[in-house]
Amino acid sequence: MSRKEVFQTVLNKFFIIVTLINVATFILGSIFKPNDTFGYGAFIYPVIYGMISSVPVLIFSKAGRQLTIKQAILRELGLLIVLECVLISFSYGLSGVERNPVEVVAFALSVFVIYVLVFVISRLLDLRQAKILTDDLLVFQERELKKMEEEKSR
Amino acid sequence: MEIKVKRIPKNEKEQIEISCHEMDDTVREIVSFVQSRQGQLSCSLEGRQYEISVTDVLYIESVDNKTFVYTRDQSYESRQKIYELEEILKSSRFLRVSKSTLLNLMKIKSIKPALNGRFSAVLHNGEEIVISRKYVADLKQTLKGGAK
Repeated sequence: MSRKEVFQTVLNKFFIIVTLINVATFILGSIFKPNDTFGYGAFIYPVIYGMISSVPVLIFSKAGRQLTIKQAILRELGLLIVLECVLISFSYGLSGVERNPVEVVAFALSVFVIYVLVFVISRLLDLRQAKILTDDLLVFQERELKKMEEEKSR
Repeated sequence: MEIKVKRIPKNEKEQIEISCHEMDDTVREIVSFVQSRQGQLSCSLEGRQYEISVTDVLYIESVDNKTFVYTRDQSYESRQKIYELEEILKSSRFLRVSKSTLLNLMKIKSIKPALNGRFSAVLHNGEEIVISRKYVADLKQTLKGGAK
């Protein structure tokens, strides 16, 4: 992929990730710390997590050549593992605060769910765009065939 | 080489005549350019020259500085560079879909997303050609009827 393509892909994913992190924060917070309250600073955390997640996405998206399906699946799997490690380290490891293991597992699970949802949403958006392109293509081919027939009949 | 252009009456047949001492690369290039403008591509296969109708071409690919022309049954080599063919075939429903590929839009059956964020064009013969995201905007514009 070219730099521009990589940037577009990462940017698309970044916004999906931030939205889903907000949803995950709401769900996990409601389960584990329903009485906690936050200041305005809390609004920046989904963006920070989104940016941290975008770095491995950026690195893994920079495949110079066309990947086979098997290679693409392996790459996605590698990306998931790296994302889990980076995000768990950032969220728990670096803070030095001892956390409830159930919380860590729930966090890791939410990273996985978000990862899968980002993949599914991106895929659905691509499928929608591909369908629009195919529909436009069929109209184009019909129009061009008519033109060719007209040219022949002249 | 001297170039002469002569206006003729409408009832006379238009023609191009090249007078040369020998059929060298320059002359061959001129001939193949004129042929491609007339819906024919001059290509070679196993040392033999062929004239292929542009409408039979599925796609044209550039590999290691060589240009290959693919039809349903054969792949031929062309002397022309892909950017030259892009310019010539622009009006013949061909479009650049990646850095190295020129695709005949009339030979595409459908378009589907690839796993790596790109798109694939599925041709009528079942082959799949990668469409880079960079060229999707051009594709959209062409399909909508706008010139690139």
